[in-house]
Amino acid sequence: MRWVHFAFLNVLRNGRRSFFTILVTAIAMTAILVSSGFALFTYHSLAEKAARDEGNLTITHPRFFTDEEDVPMQYGLSNFEHIRDELLVDDEVKAVLPRINLSGLVSNGEKTAIFLGLGVEASEFQVKGPFLNMLAGSPLSGVTSDDAVPEVVLAQGLAQSMKAKVGDNITLMATTTDGALNAFDFVVKGIYTTGVPDLDKRQLYIDLASAKSLINTEKVSSVAVYLFDLDKTTEKLASVAALDNTVAVTPWWQRAFYFQSVQALYNRIFGLLGVMMVLLVFFSISNTMSMTVTERTREIGTIAAMGCYRGEIIRNFLMEAGIIGIAGAIAGVVIAGIVTWALLVLGLEMPPPPGSSQGYPLTIEFSWPLALITSAILTLVCVLAALKATWQGCNKTITDALSYV
Amino acid sequence: MLRFANLTKSYLTGTTEVQALKGVSAHIEQGSTVALCGPSGSGKSTLLNICGLLDPDYQGELYLGGELVPANAQALTSIRREKIGFIFQRYNLIPVMSAFENIEYPLLMLGISKAERYERVARMIDAVGLGKFAKQRPDRLSGGQQQRVAIARALVKEPRLVIADEPTANLDTPTAHLVIDLMRDLGREVGSTFIIATHDHRMTDRCDRVIELSDGHLTEQTKPALQLAWG
Ligand SMILES: Nc1ncnc2c1ncn2[C@@H]1O[C@H](COP(=O)(O)OP(=O)(O)O)[C@@H](O)[C@H]1O
Ligand SMILES: [Mg+2]
Repeated sequence: MRWVHFAFLNVLRNGRRSFFTILVTAIAMTAILVSSGFALFTYHSLAEKAARDEGNLTITHPRFFTDEEDVPMQYGLSNFEHIRDELLVDDEVKAVLPRINLSGLVSNGEKTAIFLGLGVEASEFQVKGPFLNMLAGSPLSGVTSDDAVPEVVLAQGLAQSMKAKVGDNITLMATTTDGALNAFDFVVKGIYTTGVPDLDKRQLYIDLASAKSLINTEKVSSVAVYLFDLDKTTEKLASVAALDNTVAVTPWWQRAFYFQSVQALYNRIFGLLGVMMVLLVFFSISNTMSMTVTERTREIGTIAAMGCYRGEIIRNFLMEAGIIGIAGAIAGVVIAGIVTWALLVLGLEMPPPPGSSQGYPLTIEFSWPLALITSAILTLVCVLAALKATWQGCNKTITDALSYV
Repeated sequence: MLRFANLTKSYLTGTTEVQALKGVSAHIEQGSTVALCGPSGSGKSTLLNICGLLDPDYQGELYLGGELVPANAQALTSIRREKIGFIFQRYNLIPVMSAFENIEYPLLMLGISKAERYERVARMIDAVGLGKFAKQRPDRLSGGQQQRVAIARALVKEPRLVIADEPTANLDTPTAHLVIDLMRDLGREVGSTFIIATHDHRMTDRCDRVIELSDGHLTEQTKPALQLAWG
């Protein structure tokens, strides 16, 4: 304890220099926490978005994702009701949504375009609500009766190319499972954007029942399982797979290619930034400690004469570096906390990421485990830098050190 | 207590070799205060560095308390920590520590308990007459006061041997007298052997024995009159 007290006195000795070294450490700490906090936030939002778009788990025919179908719905699911019933009694499961993927032609009578359609139950829109950005009209109502015209919800780009407004009629044509061509009229119920221009040009939603009639099938392409808690996905993956071994169960991350590529990119960028910050701290501390050791040469000679071992002398310097590291880390955590809070209050908007047309709020996720680990690493880096500097600086003989001026 | 025989030491600067000690021998009694005189450059510091186990690089034999001094650096450090106190010309106090903490330092190195440390430091700081200055840092003390703190620091662990290299060279005469008397009196109380390098007669007059170095050779200077007076 007494030695720590002396180390404190020594840190305060050249207050100005110590202050700047602490400042450099604090800035490095802040940079690491803010950038990785931003990455963490991005990962979480992308994970949530991916899980909301596709479902935490997707149940399909085992060959659905791997093999190309010869005819529509060749690798569809026919007997999934028992799985659905079983899942719906589980209170961790939020929804079980069967879907049909279909493609074909959309026409307004004068012009035709290709569409990529999703046949969904109307409850899909409640489950995915905030993630589908409605620009006009409303989502599918879910009211299906034989005499009513079925509804379609168009993505913005597709609606534009069809010159379709809410309430207009359009025709969808698709190949049925038995190879015939079928066409139905639909009324435009709403227009939305996915935020991804390429998707917006082609995508539309129709009711699951209409999709079944259009391509003449009783099967579905996939069944999406939505959980209340994203973190429960891994756990549920095994239990759902155990329900029926004739189906494949895929977790969201295996299908979240955008998430994976962003994560890989950010890990590289922010990893590099982190390494640079660590090097900055290393050289800054090692420089400070070399100056300190040189200035105190005669003092080192004095305490060595008094019987201090070299290891003890180095230990005292390491304690000083440790104090600087810890002070810098604490200051960095405080600054990062203030930045996090300020961004929350100011609500800055980030430009749209590549491949997207919508910006998003700049938010930083403050993570205590990350702050603690980074503090530990930076303090260790400070101590190692000091070890390098003092090891080199403390190698004078006692008599040389004592006569140093 | 301390005995050396045929000590030789040479320094190599560039290609020229300087013989600082040319085979010196002496025996110093336990508890005596010995002045080591000689002009500047005569080898006083060189001899003190060897006797104080600061410089292991010499030829000849050195016995401390009847035992040959080991060659191992760790062992030398351990002996210095336990048995040798140092007083320097420029005081060499640690500037960020108070007078009290400077005196406490050697006891801390010896792992002495807090209660005992405090008691011994308090006693020592009073003995050098600086009780009122316990909390002051060295830069707030005069040269004489700083050297008194340094004396307390050297003596607080009650060392067998105290090495002092020109301790009064930076002090005016009255202060020097005070410092010399303090060293001698406290040294006697503790029973330490003192070797004091000096070319200062204010000092030699007050020591038990004076040995003189000149040009790397040692000669004994007996001062019967003084020995009677101070015996
Ligand atoms: N580190 C050193 N390197 C080279 N020569 C030295 C060194 N220290 C002392 N000397 C030389 O050794 C001789 C004795 O020096 P020193 O022991 O310091 O004498 P004193 O303390 O009596 O003034 C001098 O000639 C001095 O120049
Ligand atoms: Mg000298």
